[in-house]
Amino acid sequence: MSEKNKTIEEKMGLLNEKVSWFESDEFSLEEAMSRFKEAETLAEEIEKDLEELKNDVVVIKQRFDGEA
Amino acid sequence: MANVRLSVSQFIDLTNQTLEYAFGSLEVEGEVSSFKVNQGKYVFFDLKDASGSIGCFMTVWQLRVPIEDGMKVIVEASPKLTNWGKFSLTVRTVRPSGEGALKKSFELLKAKLEAEGLFAVERKRPLPAIPNHVAVISSTDAAGYADFIKILNDRWGGVSVEVAHVQVQGAAAPDQIIRALQHFNTLETLPEVIVIVRGGGSADDLAVFNDEQLVRAIAGSRVPTLVGVGHEVDVTLADLAADVRAATPSNAAQLLVPDRHDIGRQVRATTTRLIPRMLQIIDEAKRRVGQTIVRMFETIEDKVEVVERSVEMQRHLLAQFNPETVLARGYALMRGETTLGATIEVELSRVILKAEVKDVREK
Repeated sequence: MSEKNKTIEEKMGLLNEKVSWFESDEFSLEEAMSRFKEAETLAEEIEKDLEELKNDVVVIKQRFDGEA
Repeated sequence: MANVRLSVSQFIDLTNQTLEYAFGSLEVEGEVSSFKVNQGKYVFFDLKDASGSIGCFMTVWQLRVPIEDGMKVIVEASPKLTNWGKFSLTVRTVRPSGEGALKKSFELLKAKLEAEGLFAVERKRPLPAIPNHVAVISSTDAAGYADFIKILNDRWGGVSVEVAHVQVQGAAAPDQIIRALQHFNTLETLPEVIVIVRGGGSADDLAVFNDEQLVRAIAGSRVPTLVGVGHEVDVTLADLAADVRAATPSNAAQLLVPDRHDIGRQVRATTTRLIPRMLQIIDEAKRRVGQTIVRMFETIEDKVEVVERSVEMQRHLLAQFNPETVLARGYALMRGETTLGATIEVELSRVILKAEVKDVREK
């Protein structure tokens, strides 16, 4: 349940890191294309994860009418 | 029928049994007068209408909404003859009757709780940005609940949602909601937020959410609360006491979780934003390369010019040494022996002469 959510959040953090490389001093044209493709793949993955995410809704058995 | 002889106590008991048999529980509507609280525990007031009046008794714990003299109320009560022969209604619940009384009661309680600081902004806690574990208190049969779950599922996923099914209207509702709040507040693993939702209803239906003890329970929750009750225009005291107030159950779902479609769009935008950035970087690199080439050519041209100039000077200098140039200036070039009688050749600029040496003399 929360596992998948964490992964999405982690992946989003990773994506932001990848994107910030483009603004950083480490940027190099040689690497740019492969890094861009990596970021794009990760973004697609996040979108897919988001679509597939389901909630786990459970109505608890506990009664609250005071008679239980 | 023979006369029945009873002791006073027996008579009182019999009367009460008869009354209980005759009425059981009933509701009486009237206007409050002579309202007072004794020893902070016992509530006394009279209920009256145009031509009658009856004493009422209850405890302060049973009084869930504030009432005052002149307010029209409905009491749920049993008639009772006391041991002192006084006839009164033992009240179990009291609720304001009619819009005016509801509003008045609402204002009274609101002012009281506000003075206690229950609605203070500084008490409000933020909800987690993306919750993993959420508790919901609602009636699973209610339309408002279905709206909430639908929007929740549409917007986001991966959340563990525990739902406490309770009544959300009627006299029993406040206590049920309070018990559900207590339940979620005492779990070993606390939820990150407790959501209380209920769809729209009459002012009477929503009065549940103006119950003093419920409002206090919401304000006292260890777990942050999100309350979405009624329609947008409805404000209940439960709303005011909650950490976050939603206008409707659907709005509660919107406030609780982000929209996966928005996040998806943002994620996409994050990478597409890189494209112009990359193109710009490539353009810059191209321009730098172009400038370097131009500078290179300029340097080459400069160097060639220097060499050309130097060659021209040399050439000029060389021309000065050309014998033709000297002859042109009027000098002559002589070839042959410089002895008497020898034939010599004399070259001028235009002609060559043959001549005989007639004389040789030291200079």
